[in-house]
Amino acid sequence: MRSFGEWESPVFGQLLISGLATGSLYALTAVAVVVVFRNTRTINLAQGDFSMIGAFVALVLIKSFAFNYYFALAGSVVFCIGLGILAERVVMRQIADSDWLTLFTATLGMYYILHGVAGHFWGRDTKAFPLTFDPTPINVFGGIISQGHVVNMAWAAAIGLVLFIFFKYTKQGIAMRAVTDDPETAALMGIPVRFIVLLTWGMAGFLAAFAGVLIAPIIYVSPEMMDEVLIKGYVAAVFGGLYSIPGAIIGALLIGICENLAGGYLGSHFKTVTAFAMIVLLLAFRPHGLFGIQKRREV
Amino acid sequence: MTSHLRCDEVTVRFGGVVACNKISLDVEEGKIIGLIGPNGAGKTTLFNVLSRFQDCDDGHVYYRDQQIDAKNTHDMINLGMARTFQNINLFGEQTTLENILIGAHHLIGNPYSNMLWLPSARRNERELTDRAVEIAEMLNLGDELDNPVKNLPYGHQKRVEMARALAAKPEMILLDEPVAGCNDEETAELKEIVKRINSELGITIFLVEHDMAMVMTVCDYIYVINFGANLAQGTPSEIQSNRDVIKAYLGEDDE
Amino acid sequence: MADINAAFKAKMVQRKWAAMGVLFLAAVIFPMAPGVESWMASEATLIIMYIMAAQGVSILTGYTGLVTVGHGGFLAVGAYASALSTKYLGTDLITGMFVGAAMSAFVGWALGLVFLRLSGAFMAIGTLGFAFFVGTVVNNVPIFEGREGISLPKNHVIGFEIGDIGFYYTALAALGVTTLFVSLLVRSGVGRAFMALRDSEKAAEASGVNRVFYRTLAFSLSAAVTGVAGVLFAHYVNYVSSEVFADIWYSVDFLVATVVGGSAVLLGPFVGGLFVAFLPTFIELFVDQPGDLAFIIKGGALIFVLIVAPAGVVVGLVQLFRWLRGKLGGDTQ
Repeated sequence: MRSFGEWESPVFGQLLISGLATGSLYALTAVAVVVVFRNTRTINLAQGDFSMIGAFVALVLIKSFAFNYYFALAGSVVFCIGLGILAERVVMRQIADSDWLTLFTATLGMYYILHGVAGHFWGRDTKAFPLTFDPTPINVFGGIISQGHVVNMAWAAAIGLVLFIFFKYTKQGIAMRAVTDDPETAALMGIPVRFIVLLTWGMAGFLAAFAGVLIAPIIYVSPEMMDEVLIKGYVAAVFGGLYSIPGAIIGALLIGICENLAGGYLGSHFKTVTAFAMIVLLLAFRPHGLFGIQKRREV
Repeated sequence: MTSHLRCDEVTVRFGGVVACNKISLDVEEGKIIGLIGPNGAGKTTLFNVLSRFQDCDDGHVYYRDQQIDAKNTHDMINLGMARTFQNINLFGEQTTLENILIGAHHLIGNPYSNMLWLPSARRNERELTDRAVEIAEMLNLGDELDNPVKNLPYGHQKRVEMARALAAKPEMILLDEPVAGCNDEETAELKEIVKRINSELGITIFLVEHDMAMVMTVCDYIYVINFGANLAQGTPSEIQSNRDVIKAYLGEDDE
Repeated sequence: MADINAAFKAKMVQRKWAAMGVLFLAAVIFPMAPGVESWMASEATLIIMYIMAAQGVSILTGYTGLVTVGHGGFLAVGAYASALSTKYLGTDLITGMFVGAAMSAFVGWALGLVFLRLSGAFMAIGTLGFAFFVGTVVNNVPIFEGREGISLPKNHVIGFEIGDIGFYYTALAALGVTTLFVSLLVRSGVGRAFMALRDSEKAAEASGVNRVFYRTLAFSLSAAVTGVAGVLFAHYVNYVSSEVFADIWYSVDFLVATVVGGSAVLLGPFVGGLFVAFLPTFIELFVDQPGDLAFIIKGGALIFVLIVAPAGVVVGLVQLFRWLRGKLGGDTQ
């Protein structure tokens, strides 16, 4: 992982803040996972690869077509939304009524396909993503943090706000919440469930693009780049019981912070396992996640 | 009168709502006892407390005078109590025979010998299968043994539930709305089966039901609850002429 | 209606056993057949190991209904248990398999206990966590030698050194044992209890099935079978290292094998194991540098199977067979 500056010894505040920054990027994936799951009962394993493709598209737009960063980001967003919709139309729609294991495995199939496609078109090696922001660290609340981190957090917060407004105030957002809570009743009330599902996958693509492009400068671009992020995104989503968006966001931030602290104080090879230690512990005590909905016992 | 299953001032609270308020009842051995009450009276909750699917916050439950408050759900079969489910809870993809066989689970003996098909287990399995077939035939399901239960008509599925309970060699069966959703023919069939189980096999029956005709003609004794509390108890004729019961069901009617 | 069903079913059961018999016979003769080179026997051994691992997964996922994306962890437990036993105690391959099975059974039991209240998607994530956890342990605890790995002496069975062909037959024999075990388990009362838990926990408990006991038993048995596969994996290359065994893709592959073949069907792991283990080699026969193409085909084939035969290839073929029968107007005998 390329750092935006060199620190001699881990300082709590710095670890905390950069953890928050990466955590906010994990949150983008986590939220997408939650939204897709609660609307379609699908555990989308391809979410990470949507981001990966998004990162590659942006890279190509910048490198080969001399787009500037923001246009490349926009292009990537459009592409990924299309990708999400394509995934829904071509694959998920065919098995819409299946059990969740089938849905899950189908997304695994998409994962493999996207992996192969990326490798075929752009090669397996890792590529650097051009830095858009001055790598000079700046001082924030006594901690040193790079501008890139700040920008990432800003983007994540902005998207969070957009989502909040969407779900609370727009017609489509409210309709989507209805579908989440009770798809049958929603359908009976005239809500176009199919369209909502399409919207859901489009949203997954939208979030994926940001997740991929924003994290690309930090972790290099390659077909495997999002594998770890995907898993962390999932762990974060499980924090929210696979149901609660705020829960997933909190989970993602927690993971970002904890893994940074573990990496800083225990050693870098403890970073990855932190997320998993957290989740195994959590699930052992709270089988439905921290904010999950406990289904009432109905006999 | 020998008490088979008894509950003493059972109270169950869900958050702020009191589902059962000091309910007491006594199921006499060898009889068919019914529990009725308007919707929302707390019958289902009480039923689940009695079958150990639900804990109670106050009060006690006794099986043959032995306190069973802390018993696990799956221990009840060993004590001799089986139950059915209101919304049929069968293993849909599995066959009738397989569904009935699982009822006899507590009779499989040592699980390790069983999974390795050691000679003793082999004999046991054969016996269990023979018995399951017998039970199926007793309930007119003999032709459906290899059919996945999801393919069976509703009335047959109800019978499979019953058969599964019988496979456990129970002393007592708790029936959760046994004729719910059944047409007249199916109801009559099931009523006969319940009567036969009781008279021929001596199995105590405790049932919760909404179908008044069925309850009045099949039960030896009836308990009525309303708003989570005891309202009345007695023989069918006593209940039918009980003012409070009539009022509870029909509301404050003119005298 | 039921009669025809019963007769047909009985016939299918006969056919199934006949098919397995033929398969085993073919497998026994295979290395000695003309034109078969030693690399083919090696490839076949790999397929056998995948089949066995998938059998382990099927016990937990197919029959007990608990989805696992972490069986690679049990593969590792079995592999390392046998590796350490072989290196430090000089045990032979057969003993290694028992050691691996026992160790995996224990870890499986413990995991079942920890995950007692999990199901569905949460179980999947939890088991994935387990696989990662095992990977981390193997990477960081000194005795396992992490990336450096442990080299193992040549394989021997009860004193006799066995080469590749010997290893193939040993693996085949082990597969025979596990297959027998699974087939007995599935038809037993214990198997019924597993399936009852899968189909309706409430009804299972009402019927006297002790959820804690049977869940942990399912985990234990499932882990043991995959653990034996792990032992084979280790001795296949006479080397264990975290580079291989901390790789979570095994877990995914085993689940894929189970789902593709059919998770609650005896022949399922065979078809699935063949699919997952053989696909890369298969593609290599036609294309020079499969790499990415392999991924695409794997993904595509997976999706195709799920759309066309969601209950797995074996069930799909049976249904296809029945349908053809009907079309060709054959007698219902």
